[in-house]
Amino acid sequence: MDERALYAMTKQMGQFMRRFNYEEDQFGGRINPKDPNYRSTAKRQQSIPILFDQQSVGKNSDLLRFFIEDVTKDDSSFMTFLGGRWYSEVSTTFKYKGRLIPVQLILTVEKEGLGSKWVLTNIYCSEFNKLFPKGEIAEKEKYFLHPMSHELDFMNIYKVFQNQEVIEYYASKTYEPDYLTIFFYEVKRGNLVFQQVDAVKFHVLQIKDWYFEVSWFNRSGNNVGWLMSNLIYLSEKEKKDLIKFYQP
Amino acid sequence: MKKTIISLVVALFIVGGAMAQENELSFERKQAIDSLALEKVRDLSKYIKIAGSKTTPWSEANRVIDRAEELFMSDAEIGVSSLSSNQVQYYKVRKYFERLMRLNYDQVEIDWYNIEYVSDLQRQPDGTYVGVITIFQTFRGYDKEGGLVYKDTTKKDITVYVKRKETQIGGRTIGFWDVLLGDMRVKETTNK
Repeated sequence: MDERALYAMTKQMGQFMRRFNYEEDQFGGRINPKDPNYRSTAKRQQSIPILFDQQSVGKNSDLLRFFIEDVTKDDSSFMTFLGGRWYSEVSTTFKYKGRLIPVQLILTVEKEGLGSKWVLTNIYCSEFNKLFPKGEIAEKEKYFLHPMSHELDFMNIYKVFQNQEVIEYYASKTYEPDYLTIFFYEVKRGNLVFQQVDAVKFHVLQIKDWYFEVSWFNRSGNNVGWLMSNLIYLSEKEKKDLIKFYQP
Repeated sequence: MKKTIISLVVALFIVGGAMAQENELSFERKQAIDSLALEKVRDLSKYIKIAGSKTTPWSEANRVIDRAEELFMSDAEIGVSSLSSNQVQYYKVRKYFERLMRLNYDQVEIDWYNIEYVSDLQRQPDGTYVGVITIFQTFRGYDKEGGLVYKDTTKKDITVYVKRKETQIGGRTIGFWDVLLGDMRVKETTNK
């Protein structure tokens, strides 16, 4: 087997970060921070392109060129393990009431004690999302308790429980369902039983004005391992909404 | 036991000197710890090769498995998956080796690529440093006519725990870095 493919492979997510920052040489050896090549802009311009999935982003796309130019123009665009705003999406299978269902677990690194640990911040499970459909505003407006209900000892409150499917329409406009709590509840009740991990990928929002995904590519050739699979120019303001999904 | 003492002495010489617990590891210290961790992983590679070989006597293979178990934390598990199935099979270290010994081939060849990738060390909440070393192995299984019947290349990601410890030698307190292996993830690659 060609050893070059194994050298070229981005073997760990940590290696992705080190290559992104140019903190290691082409053989994976750490570069001393005192070395002039450490985090060298010229070297980063060469090393960042190999971190892209060339099948989806392409070798010479304008977006890629713009990205590299942007992240190498100053000292602020380095990835750090404890820098926050990067999330792991772990695709898993659970058994739910006798059926196998997919559940996406979202985790982030949190500082704790003398170090850090991965913690759950959210989950995505279509079974739970179905419980809270995004209803039409006109439809939602049909469901409310009029403002003088208190004077009638809330005799009309039974209406809230008449149609369970839309019970959340009676909640405050700021209400957001907490899927992680539902998930914990269902696991504790024994309704949701873990089966296996199917895949792992990372969502990186740490770099100013950019979002990208890092996924594992297991295929032949040199463009393999942990690679950027989805790159989007995203203002910091737009990112805030996206981050709310990963870390509500 | 003898091996453990030798490792300890090597550890003392390589990274000795720093008596106090450190929060941030210097570049040089990281490199020294990398060497210690790699030494353990190379021992593991050697033991896998010996235990997997069909020419190794049963008693020798069992002795090697004992040595391999000493490299790991007691609760370490080995998670194995293949290209055909994402399902991870979990084994304790001894079970993993016993399974390797029982593989139904007349002859096997286990080779390691000269590529070892060592991650940065991160501290977990109790202060222990954790890292991952990635290595690659090629396995070939032959039938009794010497025909190749199975071949794979696997990526092995091995957890490494590094802890600062102290011991008394000749009345003096000496600090050293204790390295133990943890869970290992074994994943088949598409490279043949």
